[in-house]
Amino acid sequence: MSRRGFALTIVVAVCALMAVSVAPAGATTFTIPTGASDRCLECHAQPDLGTIEVDGETKSLTISEDAWHGSVHSRLDCTACHPGFEAREHTAEESAGWREQARLTACSDCHASEFQMYDKSFHGDLVIGEGSKDAPACADCHGSHGIISPSSAEFRPTVLTMCSNCHGEKSLTYLDTYHGKSFHLGDTSTAVCTDCHGSHQILPQSNPDSTVSSQNVVETCGKCHEHANARFASFLVHVDRSTPSSSFWVWVMEMNHAVLIGFLFTLGGLHCFMYFYRGLKEGMYRRG
Amino acid sequence: MASVDSGIKDKRVTSEHAHDVPHVARGARIHFRRFTAFQRWVHFFIMVSFSALVLTGMPLKYSDKAWAERWMGFIGGVENAGMIHRFSALIMVTCVICMLGYFLRILIVTKGRFWGPGTMVPNRQDYWDLKAMVAWFVGKTGRPELRLDRYAYYEKGEFWAASAGVTIMCVTGAILWYPEVAARYMPGIVINFAILNHSGGALLAMGFVVVFWHFFHAHLRPEAFPMDKAMYDGGLPLEEYAHERPLEYERRVREGTLDEVLVAPLSPTRMKIQNVVWWIITGAALILWAVFTIFVVWVTYNWLISF
Repeated sequence: MSRRGFALTIVVAVCALMAVSVAPAGATTFTIPTGASDRCLECHAQPDLGTIEVDGETKSLTISEDAWHGSVHSRLDCTACHPGFEAREHTAEESAGWREQARLTACSDCHASEFQMYDKSFHGDLVIGEGSKDAPACADCHGSHGIISPSSAEFRPTVLTMCSNCHGEKSLTYLDTYHGKSFHLGDTSTAVCTDCHGSHQILPQSNPDSTVSSQNVVETCGKCHEHANARFASFLVHVDRSTPSSSFWVWVMEMNHAVLIGFLFTLGGLHCFMYFYRGLKEGMYRRG
Repeated sequence: MASVDSGIKDKRVTSEHAHDVPHVARGARIHFRRFTAFQRWVHFFIMVSFSALVLTGMPLKYSDKAWAERWMGFIGGVENAGMIHRFSALIMVTCVICMLGYFLRILIVTKGRFWGPGTMVPNRQDYWDLKAMVAWFVGKTGRPELRLDRYAYYEKGEFWAASAGVTIMCVTGAILWYPEVAARYMPGIVINFAILNHSGGALLAMGFVVVFWHFFHAHLRPEAFPMDKAMYDGGLPLEEYAHERPLEYERRVREGTLDEVLVAPLSPTRMKIQNVVWWIITGAALILWAVFTIFVVWVTYNWLISF
């Protein structure tokens, strides 16, 4: 073997090793494209296909052809995510466990590194570790047939809505901050949930690896606020002004405003209303 | 044009210095100059920047409301509004600096006073005036003849409220503009306080100072309706002024300083031009006032029913 041939072999071997190490065991192979998807759509694009009951949730068997063609996966076969399905009326064996597969495990075939991060995350732990049906799997955030790129302009405005499905209270306190207000009013360049909490590897604040842990929060703020320090990061983002249990001093200040505004508006309102009323009654507004 | 022939007993004051001043030679120095050009310009820039600050800031405060979204879209989005807001803030800060310079000038150059008659410091007469007005409001007495000095009790109250307000808004606004810098010297919760105070202070400024107080006294007060022109062309007939602010008038006559503040009325042509401008400004002010009033009443109503 020539020296060049030897080097080439090494490179190929390293590449192959990397490929194997990245792809999880038991990875399904699939082809792109075989045209099988069109055969699936012959039935599943029909609007009156009916519904099925999955985990107590009624789901339509129809998929939107437009959404599918607009998705980043439109060049994949349906069987890439729904492996084992044949182009006929599906049997019970075929469809057993399809939901978990299509929403979670099939994703790892291609997106192994994201899946590894997710596996270690709070959400992944609930779904994979504890078998929770409520915690989000891949498809809960990314969608299914109409998946668009998370870096696209259409994806970003949807982040808040998807997080608030479960974290409603947190989204309300977020909407009370400058970030939340400007995000809500259409400035999506401002920080939204995932910018601070991360996406695939979201961890609770108490975990040192979390983006918002005391160890990492300054760096997280620093992504946008260049000169952020620990005191800057101690700003209370998710604070509910209306209750002392959230932050006592913020609540005190809020109450202080309520009293001051109520008092002064009453005083000022009465003074000018009575002035106006007496003036009107005594004909002081008549001119000439 | 008002005549000086009635009600004023000190024609001597104007005629005595007639040879110094060309206006008096024409026999026309019969207007009392209430505000200097400097004061009127500062007022103008505060008026414009305040309106711009409110119009760009309030949709953020009430971002969850549908009108806020529509209005924010109309003025070009959050980033645009932020730029206008910061630019207007700079104008207002410049006005504040000008006023501080003006106070410093009173102290150092003209050796003037910050307290005593004719200044902004409240005194016993203000208490009596307010008491007389309240008695009139509740129907105990007829319309009182107020013994007003240069500034009435409601003007003094507004001055101090606005001074406190602008201080709070400038400080909290600066913290919100440069939160990273503020965090170098202060704990993070100060940024939370700054947000609260900036937002609450804005509503207070808009509701109390402007809607229920300043607009009312400058435009809708029976004596001023539809607008007190003193802040516009700086002068009003001496006779009118002597009647409205007897204390200042009497003091100036006593001290022989009335002549300092007498000016010629505007020429008929300038009067015509200024009348047009005056109606435009008044119209805009009244529309803005109506919008602010509806807004403040609506906010207060919502706040009350939230209990």
